[in-house]
Amino acid sequence: MNNAAQYKIKVQESKYANSARAFRENVARDLDNSELRENFRGAMDYLVDKRKSAFSEREELDCLRQQCKLIKQRCLVKLPLLLEQLEQQLEQNGIVVHWAESITDANEIIAQLIERNNGKSVVKGKSMVSEETALNDYLELQGVECLESDMGEYIVQLAKEHPSHIIMPAIHQNKQQVAKLFAENIDGFDYNTDVDTLIQQGRQVLRDKFCQADVGISGVNFAVAETGTLCLVENEGNGRMCTTVPDLHIAITGIEKVVEYLADVPPLLSLLTRSATGQAISTYFNMISHPRQDGEKDGPKQVHLVLLDNGRSQAFADDELRQTLQCIRCGACMNHCPVYTRIGGHAYGTVYPGPIGKMISPHMLGLEATKDLPTASSLCGACGEVCPVKIPIPKILLRLRQESVKPKSDDKQVMKGQGAGRKALEAKIWKAWSLVHKRPVLYRTSMWFLTRLRGLMPKKLGAWTKVRTAPKPAAKTLHELMAQRSRGIRDEV
Amino acid sequence: MKFSHSQSARANILAKLKKQVKGADYGKLPVETAFDYPEQDFEQQLNQFICQLEANHAQVIKIKPQQIADTLARQLKNRNIASLLYGESSQYSQAIEQLNGFIELTPYDFMLDGNRERLFNDYPASVTGSYCAIAQTGSIVLWPTENEPRTLSLVPPVHFVIVDTNQLYQDFATLIGAQQWQDKLPTNVVLVSGPSKTADIQQTLAYGAHGPKELVVLLLCDEDTL
Amino acid sequence: MTNLNSQHLRKYPEKPQQVYLFGTCLIDSFFPNSGLDAISLLEREGIEVIYPQGQTCCGQPAYNSGYLDEAKQVARQQIQQFPGDMPIVVLSGSCGGMMRHHYADIFKGDGEIQAFCDRIFEFTEFLVHVLDIQLDDKGDKERVALHTSCAARREMGVHITGRKLLGQLNQVELVTHDYESECCGFGGTFSVKHGDISAAMVADKSRHLENAEVLRYISADWGCMMNINGALDYRNSKLKGQHIATFLLNRTQKQESRS
Repeated sequence: MNNAAQYKIKVQESKYANSARAFRENVARDLDNSELRENFRGAMDYLVDKRKSAFSEREELDCLRQQCKLIKQRCLVKLPLLLEQLEQQLEQNGIVVHWAESITDANEIIAQLIERNNGKSVVKGKSMVSEETALNDYLELQGVECLESDMGEYIVQLAKEHPSHIIMPAIHQNKQQVAKLFAENIDGFDYNTDVDTLIQQGRQVLRDKFCQADVGISGVNFAVAETGTLCLVENEGNGRMCTTVPDLHIAITGIEKVVEYLADVPPLLSLLTRSATGQAISTYFNMISHPRQDGEKDGPKQVHLVLLDNGRSQAFADDELRQTLQCIRCGACMNHCPVYTRIGGHAYGTVYPGPIGKMISPHMLGLEATKDLPTASSLCGACGEVCPVKIPIPKILLRLRQESVKPKSDDKQVMKGQGAGRKALEAKIWKAWSLVHKRPVLYRTSMWFLTRLRGLMPKKLGAWTKVRTAPKPAAKTLHELMAQRSRGIRDEV
Repeated sequence: MKFSHSQSARANILAKLKKQVKGADYGKLPVETAFDYPEQDFEQQLNQFICQLEANHAQVIKIKPQQIADTLARQLKNRNIASLLYGESSQYSQAIEQLNGFIELTPYDFMLDGNRERLFNDYPASVTGSYCAIAQTGSIVLWPTENEPRTLSLVPPVHFVIVDTNQLYQDFATLIGAQQWQDKLPTNVVLVSGPSKTADIQQTLAYGAHGPKELVVLLLCDEDTL
Repeated sequence: MTNLNSQHLRKYPEKPQQVYLFGTCLIDSFFPNSGLDAISLLEREGIEVIYPQGQTCCGQPAYNSGYLDEAKQVARQQIQQFPGDMPIVVLSGSCGGMMRHHYADIFKGDGEIQAFCDRIFEFTEFLVHVLDIQLDDKGDKERVALHTSCAARREMGVHITGRKLLGQLNQVELVTHDYESECCGFGGTFSVKHGDISAAMVADKSRHLENAEVLRYISADWGCMMNINGALDYRNSKLKGQHIATFLLNRTQKQESRS
């Protein structure tokens, strides 16, 4: 491992910035992949159905959503106080709290904690924030192997990919692909598409690793300020393994994950698991408040929490955009998104795909790298309809579009990369459009020309006519026909 | 233990956040309304509890407290398991110790340090008590202690858990409120609602991912509930 | 912002003697007969329809592209065209949603804006909740499918009122198509800015409508129909979409209108 003195904690651009810039190429590639399209269609149909069954009582759902929205909004308006309280409670409990502004800061803290404790073998529970920081890559550079233990993450790690969904990381693969992956990468495993067999194989490999690991890394679903408690949601048991067996447990999470009271947890938990996979509750709900105490026989001797900003404070600074931070990472938005269903999770190029990805990535990576994301939505609103904390997603996307096309001279700097999506020609077009459309005479004259010159309407209209015939203007506008009517002439076209 | 750049990050982050909410009136926040779930009587709660657990592939066996040892013996025999790990001086240890001589009963009386291989390989089954339970979601609350460590209910592939129906609460919110959990959380609490599972491979459910492959619930009932 | 899709919360006025009609820019230049048919239906119910010549566009195209100032300038102009207290019937749930909900946002602080927004009614919403229209089906037996624009569905509840209206036609069998509530891929400028994604979406929507095995699908939104009809036509499909105003008018009168 490198000498810490050789390090300059220089803020590095996330690797995701480049993959986000390649959005259009990624989309073209993945739209063309029929196996991928089929995998996603099947997966989304499954998750949409599951959620629907879990929310059969409309009244309960509406009440819970409103309650949880208000809970999150309260926790956000009190955020700095709650973070201080959380830190105080956790440290009173013996859990050490660290703060990181950038992803590099976070990685560096974790790397140093591992080094200080002579960590050789690291197991990781599912943590999207650690994907955000690209922790595995960073640790690999230090010569520290960090093995993913969540089945989906394990699969994705074997495939040298990153997750394509925030809840089900390997959702883009079907079982034949997983079987092939295991056969090619696990000694002694023969190709077998039986899912139980595949899972047992994963269990076997990882069980050894849990037994040997000296460091466990996890995420956090809810961090309770009142009691200094880290809450984790999982079905597999690997989270419990990572947070119980190794001597050192490091948790990493975003600053927006703090909740005020323990009593805030049950409604949020209920909405989280039902929105995500249609489960009333996850198999395990793990609540950690201390490292191993005197007399206890197991549990980590040290527990650390890393709190990451990475653009969240930028979202926080704007009243409208702050709503983005209400997100409890359930994935319902992407499950219902017609765009995500067709392009899949990798095409976005960002850690968080789908509607939440579109809202949060511009803060994490800057609007310049993510400028194609806010417009890659038909604003259908399916996401906002299912968001458990009622984030008005289409409104926020609209707002991001506004920030994206702001003139660079605009004084109010709300976001990094503001104005990156502005194109001079487009700005001129809308200027001209508004000039015409706010002057009725000018408008009626233009439309008159449009109708009289309808024969000259081009048959090719860019992207539109690749898959559609061009619409033809009418022979007379409705304005004209109504004007004629008022003169006593009844006409139709 | 603290990193200097962590301290400056802390100062910067908090400063940015505080600037934004300066002057916020916390007294004027909107009222939050919880959903008023219809109250269920004990029988409804018990049914709900069992249904949820069974739907999650747990095995639920209703027994009288005196039947703990017999039930364990029979369930172990069915599975061809001849040994059991348990916690000494725990809630049900006396009942469990009746199995001494019939099976290889081992108390978890060692530190995990230096005994990991042993824990991971030598014990096909374990038994624990529980703190209480939640009907709405079919969840069992484990409140690990020095006598019943956290890994006791996690590592062995078959986990027997003894649940007292007199400690059944309708839902999680009710439980937290009734027991005032915010005043007394221990090192670790786990809500367990079934054997370990995953649907990560083509959304196909498979059991026994990393936690126990089987969860067997010995549900202690009064005469009339049996 | 008013509750989206708040039909069940809205207080509907008594049947008025006059209404304004907001035709939408698409109907104005491309599909004016739908406008005429909507007017015929309203007039048949005894309502005088006023069509301000000064109307142009609700401003949504610029708004959706992030050009807020330009959208506001045009929106302000529209508001001025509809003075007085009369209901404004809008021939699109998407434009309706813009004027009923988004205008309140973009002109927040303007004390009079809510009064304007409260006068906005989408066409099918108006027929059902204000006119309580009774439709006498004079046509032959027919199967149709219904496609509702996403904004119309989620902001104006048009899937409900559209269904109600078609449900009154006793010779018409309304067939549900697969993934009925999924977006057709129009999204205004989305269809050209991300043409490939839009193409994938309209391909699926077209296929699902075709699988419903109907000769005709009905919609209350020309944006979607331009998109879907264009895609169907490109594939030489027999299936075509018709505006709900035209469909209702034709079914309830002896003579077909020319739409």
